Amino acid sequence: MTGTAFRRRSLAGLPAGSAGALPALTLVGLFFIVPVVALLLRSVTDPEPGLQNYAALFGSGTYVRVFLNTFLVAAVVTVVTIVVAFPVAWMLAIMPPALGSIVFGIIILSMWTNLLTRTYAWMVLLQRTGVINRALVGLGIIHEPLPLINNLTGVTIGMVYIMLPFMILPLVGTLRAIDPMTLRAASLCGASPLQAFRRILLPLSLPGIAAGGLMVFVMSLGYFVTPALLGGTSNMMLAEMIAQTVQSLLNWGLGSAAAFVLLVVTMALYAIQLRIVGARRPAGGL
Amino acid sequence: MKLILAGVLAGLLAATAAKADEMVFTSWGGTTQEAQTKSWAEPFTASSGIKVLQDGPTDYGKLKAMVDAKNVTWDVVDVEMDFAIKAAKDGLLEPIDFAVVPKDALDPRFSNEHAVGSFYYSFVLAWNKGAVSGEPTSWADMFDTKKFPGKRTFYKWSAPGVIEIALLADGVPADKLYPLDLERAFKKLDTIKSDIVWWGGGAESQQLIASGEAAFGQLWNGRVFALEKDGADVGVSWNQNLTAADVLVVPKGAKNKDGAMKFLAAATSPTGQAKFAEASGYAPINTKAKAEMPADVVKGLPDAHVDGQINLDMHYWAEHRDEIATRWYAWQTK
Repeated sequence: MTGTAFRRRSLAGLPAGSAGALPALTLVGLFFIVPVVALLLRSVTDPEPGLQNYAALFGSGTYVRVFLNTFLVAAVVTVVTIVVAFPVAWMLAIMPPALGSIVFGIIILSMWTNLLTRTYAWMVLLQRTGVINRALVGLGIIHEPLPLINNLTGVTIGMVYIMLPFMILPLVGTLRAIDPMTLRAASLCGASPLQAFRRILLPLSLPGIAAGGLMVFVMSLGYFVTPALLGGTSNMMLAEMIAQTVQSLLNWGLGSAAAFVLLVVTMALYAIQLRIVGARRPAGGL
Repeated sequence: MKLILAGVLAGLLAATAAKADEMVFTSWGGTTQEAQTKSWAEPFTASSGIKVLQDGPTDYGKLKAMVDAKNVTWDVVDVEMDFAIKAAKDGLLEPIDFAVVPKDALDPRFSNEHAVGSFYYSFVLAWNKGAVSGEPTSWADMFDTKKFPGKRTFYKWSAPGVIEIALLADGVPADKLYPLDLERAFKKLDTIKSDIVWWGGGAESQQLIASGEAAFGQLWNGRVFALEKDGADVGVSWNQNLTAADVLVVPKGAKNKDGAMKFLAAATSPTGQAKFAEASGYAPINTKAKAEMPADVVKGLPDAHVDGQINLDMHYWAEHRDEIATRWYAWQTK
């Protein structure tokens, strides 16, 4: 239980004592607040003072489409990540600790491999002439290669893979805190495994799902490398569009405006996350 | 790895003090920058004593940020021609000192007051021989999905090339390309949109063709040259090859401007250009360079394919960059 409380506290980003917070606050001020203010200023002053960048942003079908698409991709990735992560996290929670730490190690290990390398590996696996399609065609299961890359499918597979640890970690914490006896009690009372899952396990694990889900969603919003390589242009995400606007078009005002809107949305989501996690914080936990 | 280290070093050094006996050269990384280092920087350091630190990749946003902040850590930068024209107009570049950089043998297509050619290349039609039956010979073939089924790959970004290819495929004569009829170009591109796989960088274009993921595509000729050298089974059509140039520029306020001008003189010299062309498969912009190159190298360069060669109009692009880009991304993301 202490482990859970500690995790929650670090997620909330609240320092243990106010005196110890000073260096952290300075760091945040210098490397976060100052650039963000500069970004905001730039979005309303470049190339001239006014709100024309925001008008261009919301007036342009392209940016609105890219915005919506970014949220769609993030939502799909989050849902799939939760579905895939849940059984893994449950296994980890009920495994003997010794075995659990080995599996845990394997999951963490994948996070240490270079992101670009992992994304390229998926390219090799997923493309029309890739390992998966060749195997399926070779086995006679399909005749035409499946379109697994340069579309939403490719982005989802690549991003879910990368996001899994971020979902599994908070979920394991929550699941471990659930007393296995409650499930046994449910089954003794005649609940089918599905009923036990739906009425006992799922509700009890909601805080973990919410915490992990929001983290994955928020991280997905700003994703760059994976969607750029595994997606097609019709599901371009905002980060790529901003990079293009700034690097190639040198339109810093518009790029700043887009980045600022993304930031505001992200902060709002974090606020929601804090409320959810905070509301369920055990009394005296902090 | 050496490049990265040098880049980090360059950043550190530039932050402390600018020294007259060293300068920073920035390019796109990969095999191109390696060839530039070997062909230009190393001999230049040997003859002038000026150390050339490598940085990269080229990033236009960063270049502008440096000039705006008056803290320019790059002395010579390899950029695309249309960007150079626009950047010069925006006051981001130093004028070239033609008293130091000999001008007489430079191909006038690829240099101006603020930029001298780095090399020039052609967009060519390349295909994977295993994935295509027959020989596509024109951009029109690339748009003919009945005659040539399969995925085709094009350059992903809003840049000179794809719009022109679409117009040529639609039957616009080469000398009537400009001003670009965007309406017509996008309508033509619509016809094959679902068959397009986009490449974002040179290595990706090679991977797509070599693996057969895309049956054919629009590639930089140097990338095809490298594929052939590696023994990949690729075909190439030089018909209607589209030339464009990279140019070398000096950002406004560069700390070692004198060194930069001397470097430009060495890089654009016949010897520097000949060596680079030999290493990269891109064409020299110094008209005297060919005399210093082996005949079989000359044969493989865009220079040897001037029949049907089309020059992309960088001035037109510099003028209409933003407007085209807006349309381009609107179409692409739809």
